[in-house]
Amino acid sequence: MPSAVWYNKCVDLLTVSVRARESAGEPYTLVEITGEADVTNTDELHRLLDEEVSAQPRTMIIDMSGLRFMDSSALHALLRVNRSLDRQGGVLALVSPQAAVAKILRLTTADRLIPVFDSVAEAAAG
Amino acid sequence: MARDASRARRPQAQEEPAFPLAPTPGRGSPPSPPVHGVMAFVYTTDLSAVRALVHRHALRAGLSESRAIDLMLAVSEVAANTVRHAKSPGCLDIWYDAREIICQIRDRGIIADPLAGRRKPAMDALGGHGLWIVNQVCDEVEMRSDETGTTIRLHMTLPR
Repeated sequence: MPSAVWYNKCVDLLTVSVRARESAGEPYTLVEITGEADVTNTDELHRLLDEEVSAQPRTMIIDMSGLRFMDSSALHALLRVNRSLDRQGGVLALVSPQAAVAKILRLTTADRLIPVFDSVAEAAAG
Repeated sequence: MARDASRARRPQAQEEPAFPLAPTPGRGSPPSPPVHGVMAFVYTTDLSAVRALVHRHALRAGLSESRAIDLMLAVSEVAANTVRHAKSPGCLDIWYDAREIICQIRDRGIIADPLAGRRKPAMDALGGHGLWIVNQVCDEVEMRSDETGTTIRLHMTLPR
């Protein structure tokens, strides 16, 4: 079976919305992720986030309040985004992870690498 | 299945061969789950359904919400390996008794490293977290892999 079939089927579980763009004159780039992020939609998640990274924002905030679940593949996508942003002098911040998402961030100590805030306002204030 | 605290262990426990902690390649098929398994579910890429099922049964068995999330996370990581590596459907069996809930995941994938998931990946490693997370959140993880496929059993002890 071609691998594409395996990865494209469940993309509709996840919605990625760009709420603000630094390149459009706003103070930060804000991306909202809702639904469930796992191996079946990681490639799409990474591609969409990477598009925002390529506009070279100084602050990129990911609002996770609507994200019910995230597995290690999706976490790796976030770690890759964090690394790319870091290389170009930008900062990534995460906002309001739900219990399951907070758990994987804590277990993998990714929350020591990427700052986590309770609100977008706090993340924007840094 | 109702929880029955008066029955200490399921009767099949003695007859069933001990499930080794480390995989033992070449020892043939793993033992089949006890006949009173709560349910079996075959999945391909519908991991959301897998998670919902595990979460629901974990709560029903008596795990706390936080431990139910742990088990859901662990099963999801193992099932993600099916999607990523096995290229075959996976089969999830869930059963529980008064002592513990067990999720067994079988697929045709092969895990060559007997210590897979036992070492902590670097904080910013871009891979290798899946099975490590499984080992962190579960009370016991049993893995058996040979040329016919892989069986992983995740155990969570129920509160008394």
